[in-house]
Amino acid sequence: MYLTPEEHLSLWNDFRSGNTKAYAKIYELFAADLYRYGYNLVRNKQLVEDCLHELFLHLHHQKHKLSPTNNIRFYLYRALRNRLLDSIQKQNKFTSEETTFNQAEFTVQSFESQWIEEQVLVHQKQMVVTALNKLPKRQKEILYLVYMKGLSHQEVAEVMNISMKSVYNTLNIALKTLRDYVNISFLKEGVLGVSLGSLVNLFFLPLN
Amino acid sequence: MQYSHYDVEEFCKDAYFISWATSPTPDSDLFWMSFLEAYPHKAEEIQLALEYIKVFRFSENEPDEQDLLRLKHRIWEDIEKPSRPFYQWRPIPYLAAASVILFLLVGFWFYQKQPSTLTYTTPYGLIQEIKLADGTVVTLNARSELKVIENIAENKVREVWLQGEAYFKVSKSKDVKFIVHTPETQVEVLGTEFNVNTRREKTQVVLAEGNVQLISATHRNIVMRPGQMAIVKDDNQVQLKTVQPQLYDSWKESILIMDDKPVSEIVEIMNDTYGLKLYFADSSLLNKKLSGKLLVKDQNHFLENFSIILNANLEKTQDGYLFR
Repeated sequence: MYLTPEEHLSLWNDFRSGNTKAYAKIYELFAADLYRYGYNLVRNKQLVEDCLHELFLHLHHQKHKLSPTNNIRFYLYRALRNRLLDSIQKQNKFTSEETTFNQAEFTVQSFESQWIEEQVLVHQKQMVVTALNKLPKRQKEILYLVYMKGLSHQEVAEVMNISMKSVYNTLNIALKTLRDYVNISFLKEGVLGVSLGSLVNLFFLPLN
Repeated sequence: MQYSHYDVEEFCKDAYFISWATSPTPDSDLFWMSFLEAYPHKAEEIQLALEYIKVFRFSENEPDEQDLLRLKHRIWEDIEKPSRPFYQWRPIPYLAAASVILFLLVGFWFYQKQPSTLTYTTPYGLIQEIKLADGTVVTLNARSELKVIENIAENKVREVWLQGEAYFKVSKSKDVKFIVHTPETQVEVLGTEFNVNTRREKTQVVLAEGNVQLISATHRNIVMRPGQMAIVKDDNQVQLKTVQPQLYDSWKESILIMDDKPVSEIVEIMNDTYGLKLYFADSSLLNKKLSGKLLVKDQNHFLENFSIILNANLEKTQDGYLFR
């Protein structure tokens, strides 16, 4: 289900050279994912749909002018984010980006236990989730793009129009949060692989 | 190799590692599998780093299928009639028909041909040892089916499809992965020994030595270490625990090793592999736990020993045996 960078490149090139099947495939592969990202940013279904509509029409009409990419998701995320930003700013003039995405919402999920014997760790798990959810929303967006969407640090910086340094700093803050809550005593025990693994498994729930 | 000195957090910050954890490709799979082969002591750090990355699961709102379809109609209609300045969507029958055709085309385009394969099947009660052209030895348990890609020795990826149970002794082949496809997951290795059981709506993998990876679009990658057992259910939940591998592959010698195994499980195994139906007048016997070894090759011998262990009398029924 995942495309390699070469497959991204060739699919994007096919589309740019006018292949309508490639265009349809890009929609099939990325529309739902773009929708999820867009909705997490603005919490407004209609706005997301309108921007996606404009974005795909724009892609179609401008295909010969687009630059190459080996990560279509990155390319489209950046385009959608800018488009959402524009249309919000058109609606309320003079707002800065800080307040533009005031509907943005990223929530670290709480996960069901699949490990009966690990019930004791549930409390610890809740503390990590709570701590991560307290991070500013822009930092959560960074974590979302890095760890859930697999964008590179450079790509995240470009999508959000921030510095690479901010991306690195956020990763450090998040990993420190994790470290603080993961009991070091587990690390000392041989059962680490299983018990910490299970602790962390508690956070994971497949999306579908 | 820079990664040989990485700790868990450094892996978590490395873009190449993250891209493998979030969206593995054949290349990155191969890279990290080879890395694990070369630096097996890093397995724990890698496993942990994968677990860390899993923590960052943000909630997402799934778009409605209907909404996406409607949006697609809007876009495609606008493309076909670019001159119209204001657009209104109307559900015209021919448009619906056109979109059905488009979907069929797209679907057809996505459809990938299954490569041609050789199929091995075993009946009840018979175990077969299969030597593949690449040197891999597969012991196929009774009532199982193994499909092997044609020309396995020449392919870039060695692929097999399993239903039932088999023990794999995969021959090492530099940079050529061996993949066992099961209904619930796929097991990827370079060269190692492990048992795979896909009976009863789950895939159970027990790793005797080396490294294997479980990969699926629906659950996250799991790196297994020797002595671990992973169970993948059809709801994509993965359980990992430490076991004694020999308890799970003794069937190769037609021996059932029981280590506090409930009678109900033994009944399941005998039904799965020998088609033997066992019934109990006293159902509480099913919960009784047994330890020790049982020879299962000779059915009469097995039944006799089993009834002695259970301290029960044996009666032939229409389709099986009843213990009372």
